Amino acid sequence: MSGFDIFAIVLVLLVIVTLVAGVKTVPQGYDWTIERFGKYTQTLSPGLNLIVPYFDRVGRKINMMEQVIDIPEQEVITKDNATVTVDGVAFYQVFDAAKASYEVSNLTQAITVLTMTNIRSVMGAMDLDQVLSHRDEINERLLRVVDAAVSPWGLKVNRIEIKDIVPPADLVEAMGRQMKAERVKRADILAAEGQRQSEILRAEGAKQGQILQAEGRKEAAFRDAEARERSAEAEAKATQMVSDAISKGDVAALNYFIADKYIKAFGQLADSPNQKIIMLPIEATSILGSLAGIGEIAKATFGESAASAAAAARRGSVPTTGATPPVVPPRQG
Amino acid sequence: MTDMFVSLGTWNWLIFGFILMALEVLAPGIFLFWLGLAALLVGLISFTVVISWQIQLVMFAVFAAAAVPVWRRLARPNLDASTSPFLNKRTEALLGREFTLEKPIVDGNGTMRIGDTVWRVAGPDTPAGTRVKVVQVDGVNLTVATA
Repeated sequence: MSGFDIFAIVLVLLVIVTLVAGVKTVPQGYDWTIERFGKYTQTLSPGLNLIVPYFDRVGRKINMMEQVIDIPEQEVITKDNATVTVDGVAFYQVFDAAKASYEVSNLTQAITVLTMTNIRSVMGAMDLDQVLSHRDEINERLLRVVDAAVSPWGLKVNRIEIKDIVPPADLVEAMGRQMKAERVKRADILAAEGQRQSEILRAEGAKQGQILQAEGRKEAAFRDAEARERSAEAEAKATQMVSDAISKGDVAALNYFIADKYIKAFGQLADSPNQKIIMLPIEATSILGSLAGIGEIAKATFGESAASAAAAARRGSVPTTGATPPVVPPRQG
Repeated sequence: MTDMFVSLGTWNWLIFGFILMALEVLAPGIFLFWLGLAALLVGLISFTVVISWQIQLVMFAVFAAAAVPVWRRLARPNLDASTSPFLNKRTEALLGREFTLEKPIVDGNGTMRIGDTVWRVAGPDTPAGTRVKVVQVDGVNLTVATA
């Protein structure tokens, strides 16, 4: 084998080795740093890249995707001396692969420790109640502080979330009791208020009822009085009319009215199916007897006008006083 | 084996070239592809011109080495095109967009809320509430100017 043979074979091998060393395919989501003689020179972005073999070599392969790290559990003493156990998560993303590679060593540990100490300082300045209720505010403050601190490392903390805040068991139990007492108090107050309201309503109802009743009575009394007035008026008018009629006409008309009413009343008594024996008080019969007497007196008094009165009575088919009812008993004085 | 290799003659280069290209598909890294290309080229040349195997080997090495600069000049822009150019480049995606400052920029530095996180920005001193535009990004640092 001649020297040229060997040279040709070695040349091919050299080219192949050089190509293999010089062609770098960086996957998406990563950036590779290149060190020339150990010193950073450039960053390879995803895709096909060429480096100069022999001088350059790949330094760090940095993950450029957003990553999450667990912030381990730690105990934090709040401003009011309650010891709570806290853990969380932090999301970060590398934006500058060179800085993330060379400005900090052990990136994730640095972020973790930084976040833990800041959790302590932020939550240590708050009361337990605040810590439990202001989680958003804690996250926000943590994010600002930690993000500012990691910025020289070419990365950004996008989010820090406190996962769990666990107060000691006895404190949790006390908080539970406090809450329960509060609810019971509210329930009691509500019940008392309900009772008060219902009693007020009931009393008001009763008051209203009484008022209405009194008003009803008042109204009724008014109307009764009015009715009495009206009936008195009517009576007076009727009496007036009767007396007018008598003064104008025959006294026999009066007798007619009385007799008519008497007969009607007596007829009613006689009609009664279970009352065949009729008892009449003495006074009644004597009144009836007196009627005829009154007629005689009237005749004598109004002597000359009696004829005209009788004529008027005939026109009106009114019987004269002499026609006394047949049921009048004979006993009269 | 050697007999077969010798008897095939220049066909060896073509066979070798296609095998390399097939291997490239199985184990992507691009360099096997160039080697295959160089092998095919040597095969085609040795069909027309009679040259010794040593010269063929040297030609193969030269073609393979030359493929790299040729590829860099010709094929690179097309090969690198992506439908999501801002993948893993969140700051570049912000370039040219406008936002409202939540807090003022004092002494050239301030913060700005974008999405649900807070970015530190640099720029001329501006009061809060101003519309600003991202004009430059460098890693995690945004430079803004009044829009």
